[in-house]
Amino acid sequence: MGSTTIMNNIPNLVALLIFPAGLFLLLCGLFYEWADRKLLAQLQNRIGPRWFQPLADIIKLLAKEEVIPDGVNPTLFIGLPIIALAGGLTAALYVPIVGLLPSYGLPGDLIITIYLLSLLTLCLGLAGSNTLDRFSLVGATRTLTQLFSYEAPFMLALLGPAFVARSWQISVITTFTNNRWLILSQPLGFLVAVIALMGKLELPPFDAPEAETEIVAGALTEYSGRGLALFRLGKGVALVIGLTLIASFYLGGVTNPFLFFVKTLTLLLVVVALQALLTRLRIDQTVGLWWRYGTLLVLAQWLVTIVWHGVAT
Amino acid sequence: MMEKKIMDETFTVPIGPQHPALKEPSHFRITVDGEIVTNAVVRLGYAHRGIEKAVEGRNWIQNLYMLERICGICSHIHATAYCLGVEQLAGVEVPPRAQAIRVLTAELERIHSHFLWVGVAAHEAGFDTLFMYIWRDRETVMDLLETLSGNRVNYSVNILGGVKFDINEEQADAIRKGLDYLEERTNHYLDVVSNDAMFLQRTSGIGVMTRNQAEVLGTVGPTARASNVARDVRVEAPYGAYFDYPANIVLEERGDLTARFVVRIKELFESYRLIRLILDTLPSGDLETRMPRRIKEGETVCRVEAPRGELFYFIKSNGTDMPERIKIRTPTICNMTSVVKLVIGHQLADVPMILVGIDPCFSCNDRMVILDRSDGYKQQWTWEALRQHGIDYYHEQHS
Amino acid sequence: MKIGIMISDISNSLFRRPITELYPFERRETPESLRGMLHWNSENCTGCGLCAKDCPANAIDLIVLDKKAKRFVLSYHPDRCTFCAQCVHSCRQGCLEMSNEEWELASLDKDQFHVLYGVKEDVENILAGSPLPDVDRIE
Ligand code: SF4
Ligand code: SF4
Repeated sequence: MGSTTIMNNIPNLVALLIFPAGLFLLLCGLFYEWADRKLLAQLQNRIGPRWFQPLADIIKLLAKEEVIPDGVNPTLFIGLPIIALAGGLTAALYVPIVGLLPSYGLPGDLIITIYLLSLLTLCLGLAGSNTLDRFSLVGATRTLTQLFSYEAPFMLALLGPAFVARSWQISVITTFTNNRWLILSQPLGFLVAVIALMGKLELPPFDAPEAETEIVAGALTEYSGRGLALFRLGKGVALVIGLTLIASFYLGGVTNPFLFFVKTLTLLLVVVALQALLTRLRIDQTVGLWWRYGTLLVLAQWLVTIVWHGVAT
Repeated sequence: MMEKKIMDETFTVPIGPQHPALKEPSHFRITVDGEIVTNAVVRLGYAHRGIEKAVEGRNWIQNLYMLERICGICSHIHATAYCLGVEQLAGVEVPPRAQAIRVLTAELERIHSHFLWVGVAAHEAGFDTLFMYIWRDRETVMDLLETLSGNRVNYSVNILGGVKFDINEEQADAIRKGLDYLEERTNHYLDVVSNDAMFLQRTSGIGVMTRNQAEVLGTVGPTARASNVARDVRVEAPYGAYFDYPANIVLEERGDLTARFVVRIKELFESYRLIRLILDTLPSGDLETRMPRRIKEGETVCRVEAPRGELFYFIKSNGTDMPERIKIRTPTICNMTSVVKLVIGHQLADVPMILVGIDPCFSCNDRMVILDRSDGYKQQWTWEALRQHGIDYYHEQHS
Repeated sequence: MKIGIMISDISNSLFRRPITELYPFERRETPESLRGMLHWNSENCTGCGLCAKDCPANAIDLIVLDKKAKRFVLSYHPDRCTFCAQCVHSCRQGCLEMSNEEWELASLDKDQFHVLYGVKEDVENILAGSPLPDVDRIE
């Protein structure tokens, strides 16, 4: 009986550990991290890193000693990066990575995905406040402050397509959005989603939580070795998932690997251009921006969509 | 970071001596209430190199190069200040062509220094694209300095009594071409720093220093000029070729960080104008007047305008081939007090920006000050006494 | 008030080669005036020793073997040299000059950083460490 259980579970194990989540997604995350850095360098007229640089960084970090500083809770210190990465990888199971159908699907999995993505940021904040370091503490405060400011607009922006598809299940939404370019009917929602993704990933101009010229590395200042590697992998994974979600919801769907890479990389180029053009915001400016403009923009988008649907039906 | 967590309002954030915002060591103790700074204390002296003592053991010529190394960015102006002082002591008149070449190099150096600063400040503000582009364009002026002198930094242009090299037409054309490119780019950067909404968020209205404050705090250079204080040694007390090529002063009224950006960038145009003028009307003649190896007994002071502000030299000779005493005051030390005053009430995130706003150069300003105290405090230490003090101090700390 | 003024720069760069030069593979021509390795021509040297005296980095030693017969050896340490050209300037006989081609002076070998200029046999004698009569060093 044991062997049949294992046999039955092999596809599940593969989905979890190798493809689409697990190993494949980690490598994908590293590739997108490289693409991000390389494109940014190109826009700044520099050369940028070679293709294996993120991988080399991770291998180096994994090989290094992990220093556990005095005064932290070691279980949390070691556990948080693992939870963060696990959250990201789990989220990938519900998302059409490389244009394939999501491995799992259930009604309402969009909400689950969004929360699994937030787990990363939450772990980051907790990891920062777990240590005694001042830079970490300030960084953690900023991380969590930022979380509360972009989270609501991000969610609302992703619920826009869900509303028109009349489902909260990602696979249903993607079937609906296939070849429907919602960016045309919901441009504001798209804009907010992209910018909120940048906030989520703490990319410039929303990198106040890890502004190196003020607070060194922010919440992760005390992390070295494996913990840091896992957090970085987690960010790479979150980048891929975020891009996939937005591309599949707003850019006419990603139904095959070719479309997936073309659309996500184009989206990445937009993200990189924004990174290059904008100056880092102070944390109070970030909060102000989101609550004053971001939220209002999505709400306006919602209003328009609802009214439009009311008129149409 | 092993200290106890203090969660009341006196939460201090140490910046430095090692911190990514500071490329050189110094220490700021910032007390914050949430993100608002309530107090700031600065501690300098981590990069004291004993240069003033070292020059007492070298001859006048060797010291030229020692003093040039006080600062890697404004190296030429240090050597110029020293030369002017020593030439004054020796009663030597430097030929006009040499004077003009000195000023030309000084202005090229100002261009490279201001470009460097705009880049660094943009990086602190979190605008790395501006940083990368401006440093890319700075290479143009570095290359010009290399074509001219043979070195990219520490150009060693001066010798006592003149300069080492002449400028030929080919080099002059290279400089003109380089300046045309830089001028076009500078216009663009002026547009960026004064109009880019996102960038202005980080600079406009931050670190405002009123004219009165700037005067009371004794600021110098572009930092003072951004607060509308007309203080520029090139204009107030011209030296060298600035008599023949007068500089215009550049002032801004607002006194915030934007004004500091604008002043420095507008000064670049002034430098371009001066350099072009010098190239077009370079006086002919010798490059050097012979200097005696021993300098007449006497003392003198000498002031020049470094890219960061007024640079001050005191030189005393006892008639031998080595100086008796040289005292240097660099502009950063004058501006440092303004930082600790201005940061109060600002966000923590603005502290690096305000600090960088004065264009600090820590290794230049770390110099020993001997206090004259009535309680018998020793003014001069012998090597032995200093060593003993070190040992005693160590025992005290570890007993 | 505009947002993203640098868009012209980044859109230009998108299709342009990075400005960075991959140094050992690409190299620029050095300017005529570049100050590289120091060279000594013994012909006119009077042995005045000014070059050694004025060098701020103590990179030059003048070894006087026989002042009357003008037998000098110049010992030069490129690793100490700051390439200030003061020695070139101090020498009134024009014996010293700096090459604008030899500037890649890094080496794993310490011996590279001690150069002796002079008549071949004198240099060989010094290297062999054989005792020399009345050697006078000007540092
Ligand atoms: S170039 Fe300067 S440092 Fe080098 S040997 Fe000549 S005087 Fe000495
Ligand atoms: S300064 Fe010239 S002449 Fe005098 S010792 Fe040096 S090389 Fe010879």
